[in-house]
Amino acid sequence: MIRPEEIKMSEEETGKWGMVINQDLCTGCQACVAACAMENNISFVGEVDSGYGRSMHWIRIERFWEGEYPEVKMTPQQPMLCQQCGHANCEPVCPAYATVHSQAEKLNLQVYNRCVGTRYCANNCPYQVRAFNWRDYKRPEPLPNQLNPDVTVRRMGVMEKCTFCIQRIHKAQDVAKSEGREVYDGEFTTACAQACPANAIVFGRVDHPESLVSQLARKGHGIKHLEELGTYPQITYFKEG
Amino acid sequence: MSDLKQHKDAAKSHEEHLREKHLMLDPLPRGKMNEMVMEAMMAPPTWKWWLVFTLLAGFVVWGLFYKWGVLITKGQGEAGVMRPDYWGIFLVNTVFWIGISHAGTFISAILRVFRSEFRRPFTRAAELMTTFGLVQAGFSIFMHMGRVWLAYWLMPYPNQRMLWPNLHSPLTWDLLAITTYVLGSTMYLFLPLIPDMAMARDRSTGWRKTFYKILALGFRGTEGEWTHLRNAMNIFAFAIIPVMFSVHTIVSWDFAAATRPGWNSTIFGPYFVIGALHSGMGAAIAVLAVIRGTMKNMKYFIRPEHFDAVGKLMLIISMGWTYFFFNDYMVQWYGGDKWTRQLLHFHEAGPLGWLWFVMLISNIAIPWAILWNQKWRSTPWLVATVGIIINVGMWIERYVIIPISVTINRMPFTWRMYTPGIEIPMGLGTVALFILLYMIASKLIPLIPVWEVQEGQMAHAFKKFGRETVVTVSELE
Amino acid sequence: MTDTKIDTKIVDVLAVFPDLEPAANAIEQLRTLGVHDDCMNVISGIPVTEAMLGRPHQWTNVPRIAMGGAILGFLGAVFLAYIAPFLYPYPIQVSTQSFIPGPPTAVVLFELTMLGMLLSTFLGVFLDSLFPNYRPMKYVPEISDGKIAILVECPHADEKKIMDALMKTGAESVRPAEAQHL
Repeated sequence: MIRPEEIKMSEEETGKWGMVINQDLCTGCQACVAACAMENNISFVGEVDSGYGRSMHWIRIERFWEGEYPEVKMTPQQPMLCQQCGHANCEPVCPAYATVHSQAEKLNLQVYNRCVGTRYCANNCPYQVRAFNWRDYKRPEPLPNQLNPDVTVRRMGVMEKCTFCIQRIHKAQDVAKSEGREVYDGEFTTACAQACPANAIVFGRVDHPESLVSQLARKGHGIKHLEELGTYPQITYFKEG
Repeated sequence: MSDLKQHKDAAKSHEEHLREKHLMLDPLPRGKMNEMVMEAMMAPPTWKWWLVFTLLAGFVVWGLFYKWGVLITKGQGEAGVMRPDYWGIFLVNTVFWIGISHAGTFISAILRVFRSEFRRPFTRAAELMTTFGLVQAGFSIFMHMGRVWLAYWLMPYPNQRMLWPNLHSPLTWDLLAITTYVLGSTMYLFLPLIPDMAMARDRSTGWRKTFYKILALGFRGTEGEWTHLRNAMNIFAFAIIPVMFSVHTIVSWDFAAATRPGWNSTIFGPYFVIGALHSGMGAAIAVLAVIRGTMKNMKYFIRPEHFDAVGKLMLIISMGWTYFFFNDYMVQWYGGDKWTRQLLHFHEAGPLGWLWFVMLISNIAIPWAILWNQKWRSTPWLVATVGIIINVGMWIERYVIIPISVTINRMPFTWRMYTPGIEIPMGLGTVALFILLYMIASKLIPLIPVWEVQEGQMAHAFKKFGRETVVTVSELE
Repeated sequence: MTDTKIDTKIVDVLAVFPDLEPAANAIEQLRTLGVHDDCMNVISGIPVTEAMLGRPHQWTNVPRIAMGGAILGFLGAVFLAYIAPFLYPYPIQVSTQSFIPGPPTAVVLFELTMLGMLLSTFLGVFLDSLFPNYRPMKYVPEISDGKIAILVECPHADEKKIMDALMKTGAESVRPAEAQHL
C-alpha cells in the first residue's frame, strides 16, 4: 500500500536532470537531431509526411524570420525538445496513465505500450514537442542493423517524446552502483549533447549546485520557455550574450 | 337574439378552429390511432425507400466500415491530423453527434418535467435521435483513437497490471459520462415503448408478432405494471437532465481543461450545452418534417403547431447561443493575451475566415430572420430547412473550435493548416448510418407514442369563462 | 371430480369497460358483493391512477430499487476514486496534481451514482413487473385500444352473480378469463 504523503509534489522541489542550451553557440547543424534519431530508434517518416507536419524528431531546431522585408533579421537557432516539466500539462490528461511522472528521476515518462493514441497529451503540450506514430514507417535495409537495443521500437498509434536518454541515465547509474559510487558529473550525457560540435547543449544534474549545468544555469540571463504557464521546465536557454 | 346566435356560432367556430390546430383537442378513438400508427409503420417499403436504403447502406459499408478498416490497418496518417492539429474532424463529429443527441433528452425529459403538452406526439422520434446520434458519436470517438483495439483499457476493470483509468483525465470523465448517457437514454427510450410494443403485438402477425412479443416483455397494462413504469419514467425524466448537462459540459472540458489559447475558457461548459441544444433542436425538427412528409397518417399527429412550438424553442436557444458565444468572444478579446489575439484574428481573417462568418450567419442571422414570424415558423419545410442550416452552422462552430483553433499555439514554428483526408468519407458514413438506422426504426418501432397521445387528449378539455371558450389541461399523473 | 371440489374452485372473470366511469362503478359494486380489493385487477391501455377508480394505493419498489442502485453506483465510484489508487504496486503521479484529485473525483462520483440509479430504475421495472414474462396470461387485445378491463378472482359459486353485476354496470363484455399466449 502507498500512502498519499509518500508522494512528493515535484513543484516543491527542484528537478533532478536538466539542460542548458546556448543558442548563441548553436549553428543549426542538426547533428543533435540525427544523433537523437539514431539513439532512440526514431522512425524515418519520409518526405511526404514530413512535409505535412508529421516529422517525428524528439528534438528540432527552430528558426524564425523577424520583421518585414527588407529589414529581416534571423533569430538565433532554437533547439526545442521536451522540457521535462515539473508540472507537466501532458500527464494528467492521459486517460490510460500512459504518460506519468517518474519519482526517482523527476522526468516525464512515456509508457509506449500503455498508449492508446488519444493524442490528448500532445494537444496539451504547450511546447508541441511530442511526436505521434501516424503510421508504421518502414526501415529499409540495412537500417534495422543500427537499432539501439536499449530502446523500444514503437509502432503506429503510439505517442513518443524525448526521454532525456533515460537508457543512458540508467546505464550510468548501474555502472556507478556496481562500483559503489555516485554518478559523477559529465560521466555520461544525452545523445544530442554528445553530438553537438559546438557544445551548445549541456546536460547534467540540476540538483547538484556544483555540476556544470547548474553553474551555467546560474549565470543569470537564462530564460525558460513559457515559464508564465507554471510548467517548471528543466531546460534553460541562453541567447544574445 | 340574433346577436346571441352569432356569438354562439363564433364560439363554435373558435372551438372548431382550435380543434383543427391542436392535436390534443382533436381526439380520435384509441383504436383508430393505433390503426393509423400501425399502418404508417407496416406500410410496405416503396421502391424509393429501397433506393435510398440501398444507397445509404452501400455508403455505410464503403465510407464507414471499409474506410475504417483502412484507417486501422494503415494508421491515423490516413486522416488529416498532424502536429499541431492532433485532433481533427473525428472529434468535430463526436461533439456534433453528442450535440444532436441532446435534443431528444431535452424534448422527452425537460418538456416532460415542465408538462409541455406539445411534446407528446414526438418524444419517441426525438429519443430515437438521441440513441442513434450517440451511436455515431461512439463510432467517431473510436475512429479518432490511434490504437482503437485497446479502447477497453479505458474501462475500469481489475487487471494483472493493477492499472485503473486515470481519473485526472477529462477523457476518463467523458467515457464515464457518455457511457451513462448512452445507457440512460436507451433505457429511457425503451420504457415508454413497452406499452406501444404491447399494442403492436396485439395487432400484428407473423415475424412481427414474435418481434413485438419479445420486446413487449409480456406487458398487459395491469395497475402494478403501469405504476412501476410511471414511477420509473418519472425518475428517468428528472435524473437524465443533469446527466445530459454533465455530458456536454464534460465534452467541453476536454477543450477547456487544456492549456491552449482559445480553449482555456470557463464559459465553455454552458456554451457547449446550449450549442448542443441548438444543433439538436434543428436536427429534431428536420426529422419531424421528414416523418410528417413521408409517412402515412403522420399529418394527423405532427401538425404545424408542433413546428411552431419547436420553432419558438429554436429561436430562444439561438439567442442563448449568441449570448454565450459573445461572452466567450468578448472576454477573450478583452483579455488581450498575445496568443489569444492571434487566434481570434486567425478565426476571422485567416484563410478559413469565411467559415467563421458562415457559422454566424447560419446560427444567428438565418434563425432570427425566419423564426420570429409565427406563420413562417409554422411552415414545416421552412423550419426544417432552418434546422438543417443551423446544423451546418453548428458543425462549423466545432470545426472552428477544434482543427482551426489548434493551428495556433504558443510555438509558432509548428503552425500548420489542417487538410482533412479519410475523415470526409467516414464522417459522411456516420451521417448515412444515422439516416439508415432511422429508416429501419421507422419500419419496426411505432414512432408515435400512442398511449401518451391518448393520455394527453384525455387531459385536455374546453372550458367556458363567461362567453369565452378556453382550453384547460388537467394533471392526470 | 366431485361437486364439492367444483364449488371451492376459484375462477377469473374478465369484464371490459369502454370508459372510466362504468369501470369505477363496477369496482364499487364488486366491493358491495364482498369481493376483496386484492381479488380485483384493472388492466388498461393508458395509465389509470388508483384514485380515478377508487382503488387502494398501488405499492411499487421502483424508487427504493433506484435508491439502492444509486448507493451501489456511489460505492463503486468511491472504490474507483479513493481505493483503486492505493492498489497500484507503486505510486503513480501525474503532474503536480494530488494523488486523489478533488474536483475530478466529484465528476466521477456524480456520473457513477447516476449510472447506478438509472440502471437499477430500469431493472426495478423488470423486477417489480416480473418482466420478461412470456407465459400465457389473462388478457384481451381490446385493452390496447383504450378499453379498461377488470379481472376478478372469485369462487366458482359466485361467478354468475358477479358476471351479472358487471354486465349491469355497463361492461361491454363479460367472460370467464382464460390464460392465452399474448
